[in-house]
Amino acid sequence: MGNQVAILLRKAPYGSVYTAEGFRTIMGIAVFEMDICVVCVDDGVYALVKGQNPAKLDIKPLGDGFPALAEFGVQSFYVHDEALARRGLTADDLVVPVQVASSSQIARILEESGKVLPF
Amino acid sequence: MMLYTVNKSPFSTNHLESALRIAPTGAPILLYEDGVYAAARGTQVVALVQSALADHPIYALEADLEARGIHMVLEGIQVINYDGFVQLVEKQDVAPWL
Repeated sequence: MGNQVAILLRKAPYGSVYTAEGFRTIMGIAVFEMDICVVCVDDGVYALVKGQNPAKLDIKPLGDGFPALAEFGVQSFYVHDEALARRGLTADDLVVPVQVASSSQIARILEESGKVLPF
Repeated sequence: MMLYTVNKSPFSTNHLESALRIAPTGAPILLYEDGVYAAARGTQVVALVQSALADHPIYALEADLEARGIHMVLEGIQVINYDGFVQLVEKQDVAPWL
């Protein structure tokens, strides 16, 4: 069990409050300079998709926030390969550089982190 | 003929599949909120949606597509704005597949 916190995003960004709350939690943890990584599985990969424009929903674009996290030392993004493939997406469609990971790699990242916060 | 509305992702729920199983031929389907992910190109539900397009008019709400970064929808899907949404709901009763 490590000292890293893994933020596990599994839901699409605007249909519920989970992604926004996950992002707030990342910010909250990052300012304490704790080691943190973001793991996107299932619809969580949609949080990182480029070109989000929720102006007509009167919401701020969630995707835009992720690149700025580098300033707070959050640079580890892992994305499930099968989740991308099912949705017709590749790493090029995402707002930050990510490490595309297999199911077993995702499991290992979670295990090595030790602390998993699910959103 | 009722309007079937689907607002959940086809990848995390069976709502779209379920609605399509029940909706009679010709019944219009409206995708909104996370339901619009079904309208995107190149996904694993393209075959499901394309076969549905043979039997149903399918609409997707523009504001929800834009929010999610979906700029190209599958051919045959009609993109509508909020006025179009209201017109559809006025025209027929709604079967919300929540």
